[in-house]
Amino acid sequence: MIVVNGLRKRFGPKTALDGMSFTVAAGQVTGFIGPNGAGKSTTMRVILDLDAADEGTALIDGRRYRSLHRPLTHVGSLLDASALQPSRTARNHLLWLAHSQGLGAGRVDEVLQRVGLSAAARQRAGGFSLGMRQRLGIAAALLGDPRALMLDEPFNGMDPEGIIWMRGFLRALAGEGRAVLVSSHLMSELQDTADHVVVAGRGRVIADATVAELRAAVSDGRVVVRTPSADAGVALIAAGASVIAADGDTLTVVGLAAQDVTAVLAGKGVPFSEVSAHRPSLEEAYVELTRDVVEYRAGDAPEGVR
Amino acid sequence: MRTALHAEWTKLRTSPATIWLLLAAVTLTAGVSAAAAATIPCKTAACLGDPAQISLTGVQLGQAVVVILAVLAVSGEHATGMIRTSLTAVPRRSTLLAAKAVAVTGVTMVTATVAVGTSVLAGRLLLPGSGYTAAHGFTPLSPTDGPTLRAAGGSMLYLCLIALLAVGVATVVRDTGASIGVMLALLYLVPIVTQALTDPDWKRHLQQATPTAGLAIQATRHLDTVAIPPWHGLAVLAAWAAGALLAAAVLIRTRDT
Amino acid sequence: MSAGFGRLLHAEWTKFRTVRGWLFGVAAAAAAVIGFGVLPGMSGSCHDHACRLPTGPDGTEVTDSFTFAHRSLTGDGSITARLASLTGILPPDPGDDQPQGEGPSHGPATPGQGRPGLVPWAKAGLIIRAGSAPGAGYAAVMLTGTQGVRMQHDYIHDVAGPAASADAPRWLRLTRTGDTVTGQTSADGSTWTQVATVRLPGLPATVEAGMFATSPQYTESTSEVFGLTGAGGGPTRATGSFDRIVAQGGWSAGTWQPDKIGGPDDAPRHGAVVDGDQVTITGSGDLAPAVSGAAGLGTTITQTLVGTFAGLIIVVVIATMFVTAEYGHGLMRTTMAANPRRGRILAAKTVVIGTVTFVTALASAATTVTVGRRVLEANGVYVHSVSALTQVRVIVGTAALLALASVLALALGVILRRSAAAVTTAVLGIVMPYLLAVSVLPATAGQWLLRVTPAAAFALQQSTLEYPQVINIYTPVNGYYPLPPWAGLAVLCAWTGLALGVAAALLRRRDA
Repeated sequence: MIVVNGLRKRFGPKTALDGMSFTVAAGQVTGFIGPNGAGKSTTMRVILDLDAADEGTALIDGRRYRSLHRPLTHVGSLLDASALQPSRTARNHLLWLAHSQGLGAGRVDEVLQRVGLSAAARQRAGGFSLGMRQRLGIAAALLGDPRALMLDEPFNGMDPEGIIWMRGFLRALAGEGRAVLVSSHLMSELQDTADHVVVAGRGRVIADATVAELRAAVSDGRVVVRTPSADAGVALIAAGASVIAADGDTLTVVGLAAQDVTAVLAGKGVPFSEVSAHRPSLEEAYVELTRDVVEYRAGDAPEGVR
Repeated sequence: MRTALHAEWTKLRTSPATIWLLLAAVTLTAGVSAAAAATIPCKTAACLGDPAQISLTGVQLGQAVVVILAVLAVSGEHATGMIRTSLTAVPRRSTLLAAKAVAVTGVTMVTATVAVGTSVLAGRLLLPGSGYTAAHGFTPLSPTDGPTLRAAGGSMLYLCLIALLAVGVATVVRDTGASIGVMLALLYLVPIVTQALTDPDWKRHLQQATPTAGLAIQATRHLDTVAIPPWHGLAVLAAWAAGALLAAAVLIRTRDT
Repeated sequence: MSAGFGRLLHAEWTKFRTVRGWLFGVAAAAAAVIGFGVLPGMSGSCHDHACRLPTGPDGTEVTDSFTFAHRSLTGDGSITARLASLTGILPPDPGDDQPQGEGPSHGPATPGQGRPGLVPWAKAGLIIRAGSAPGAGYAAVMLTGTQGVRMQHDYIHDVAGPAASADAPRWLRLTRTGDTVTGQTSADGSTWTQVATVRLPGLPATVEAGMFATSPQYTESTSEVFGLTGAGGGPTRATGSFDRIVAQGGWSAGTWQPDKIGGPDDAPRHGAVVDGDQVTITGSGDLAPAVSGAAGLGTTITQTLVGTFAGLIIVVVIATMFVTAEYGHGLMRTTMAANPRRGRILAAKTVVIGTVTFVTALASAATTVTVGRRVLEANGVYVHSVSALTQVRVIVGTAALLALASVLALALGVILRRSAAAVTTAVLGIVMPYLLAVSVLPATAGQWLLRVTPAAAFALQQSTLEYPQVINIYTPVNGYYPLPPWAGLAVLCAWTGLALGVAAALLRRRDA
């Protein structure tokens, strides 16, 4: 279990972390989402004691990373898949890591097998595609068979097949009872993977909830009606709904649940081809939540001018 | 520490550059030593040549290769970002630095033993041809001779201390090119600047206080005229190495990576 | 230059100037060149112009120190004499002594401890001189220690006459006709050989003429092995005994007037003894151009530029990074995508790094040579004067040396693509030959290195000339190089051109 509590850090005039707090629980995948510059990578670096926080603590099983005896057996991490020396083979890269934890070459071959890199094990890691490097990074994270895993943007550079593999792999790791923290700046990548989501913006947590809770929080009760009849709108308004948009044969209404809309239209004999409750995707929920905290948005005026 | 050391050794062992650098260090050291032994003449019994020193001339070039090896062991990780991987594996930074220093020194010691041994052997075979003969009052170079043993063993220690100094400098500077620049300046600039000085006191102080003072360990003759006694010279270099490692230890603990 | 190349240049310049570390490095290189030039370790005892050297008729700094017995000669005339013997005293054998690790001693002569012998350029003979002022024009015919009969005039000119041993008596004759002087020699006093006729422009009607003797500093290199570099030697003296002196023409009346020109006043055994027809002269010093280094005194502006080595290392590191940083971070692909013609990328980088280095080095070398000179003189170090042209060549040459070294390093960066290998190769390729030449290697091997390696370009910094008639340790550490300046530059240009050619070929052939 990873517990982050009240982290603050400044880089010169820029506040990177501004009271970041959350918990990564065992047995589930926790998505760590936020726009670029939200402080996700910095948080992970502080957890790993690569950067020092000005305030606050980040503890793994109640201890600071630096005080862990064989740290890779507690937390496996993948921060930057390119952070390796290109001239070394994949197997040798894992070998020195294994030796640093008192592990042998046998464990190296096991993790290579598990991420599907056995065939490329004796190739120079510098020649790997980004997707292969991500797999190598996952292998490194798994080396110590840790109870917690922390992966920064693991989907980057992966082909669709790789993304599907990664999703299944993350679910399997959580299924083994591990705490898995996965960061991404795209909610869609985590939509079917994460059980729990921590949304970060401007260095702090702006939402910390299960995926279902998050959806509900931004659900707005909109119902979409597809009908050839011009009477539909009148009938629904009479029944107490408000039409907020009309576009050709499509109406968007609020104020009535979907089954009530169906009942009203059926009762009045208005024909319709479709009535559906508008369910916001996780992506929309995320965009909604982070609208105010996105730092670098295309065509934005500088902050001071706004 | 033991596991960290094992990891550093594996890193060095599995980096393809290492073996080539070690071969280069041995070849250049022995080659330049042999060339010096074959070309620096002794024409009279009064000649000033120091056979042990001449046969160890190659150390002055070999040290550049040791510097590259030591600097790359540190800065190579910074250039690629692998230092972050290393620090997640060994989060105690001074442990990481110590492990790296020990691994690099160990490899250097083995290399230096081969390089210096070959150099002394070359000197033993070639020096008589250059006039360092019994007729001029010289006995063949032999490791059983106390001063020769001191010069040879001291040269190995010298190379190890250079490696430690380079590890310290590279940890502080982090960039490969700049680290090598700093080291080469320390090793090669001082002798040149010393030559240009006219004030004998300044000249002597500069020779006494800079890392290359360690080369005094190679002197076996005219010990009353050298700028600094052999072991004192090596101690000066040791102080430089210690200072660089101390600065490295302080910085590596306080810096974000 | 096409507009496209102009844009490329602009892009590379922007790349260069936006990396703070590189700008800092350039400033550090300039500071190093200047800083080492004014190091406090340079000090001497030449305060208040005490060591100012006289200058000869053409402005060259000269050594003008000899003993002479003379009378005035007005108008044309000649003098003939037999040099009955030429003997001398050398300093004690340096081989018996400890090496003098700190360069030559300029202390007073230590007669009595010496051993008999003559240095090669010990000289005794006849002289006609414009006056007794230091640096006055002269012409002389003389017998030397080992160099036979010579005719020399105005310090820098030397004409060889017949070979002659210093052990046998030798006849000499000097004739003035207008402003020309002719020297002749004979083994037996009857068969005469002309050595040379020289013209001394502006020779006054009345000159001082007579017999002289002098003997230059004995200099021997003890530079055999590292740590024992230096020179041994000391003052010497020569004694010439003249007889059968015949003076024809408008000579002043009276006997030969003994006189000592230049040299230390306290040298006790120098002087001329006139005993009837016999004149014996003992002298020490030289009539020759002044040189710097072991056999001379003081230093040259070359030594103020020792910081060039420090600047060189910094410049090499920056130039290497200018390209290896692009390989290291994949920026080279961006650069090549923006400019598919790779040869032009190399050209643009070459122009940018070369120009930045040249301008910086030019400013710092000019500062060093002018300010450094003043600082050295204030510290009591005698600095040989050089002509303005030489000074400009040394300054511009230093800038060219550093600029070419940076381009060489850039090309090595392209070839090797690794900063470790490129920096080491460039620094060792340029600095190591010099260092080996000045420290470890025997002179011949060292000179050979300084002819063929990139270090040959340090010849651009040589500011004084080598004279065969002055024995000195003409080594790089004293500011003398085996190649003439422009040849040294050409060697570095050749290396740089070769490296650029290989770099361009590789750049085109290799994947980015």
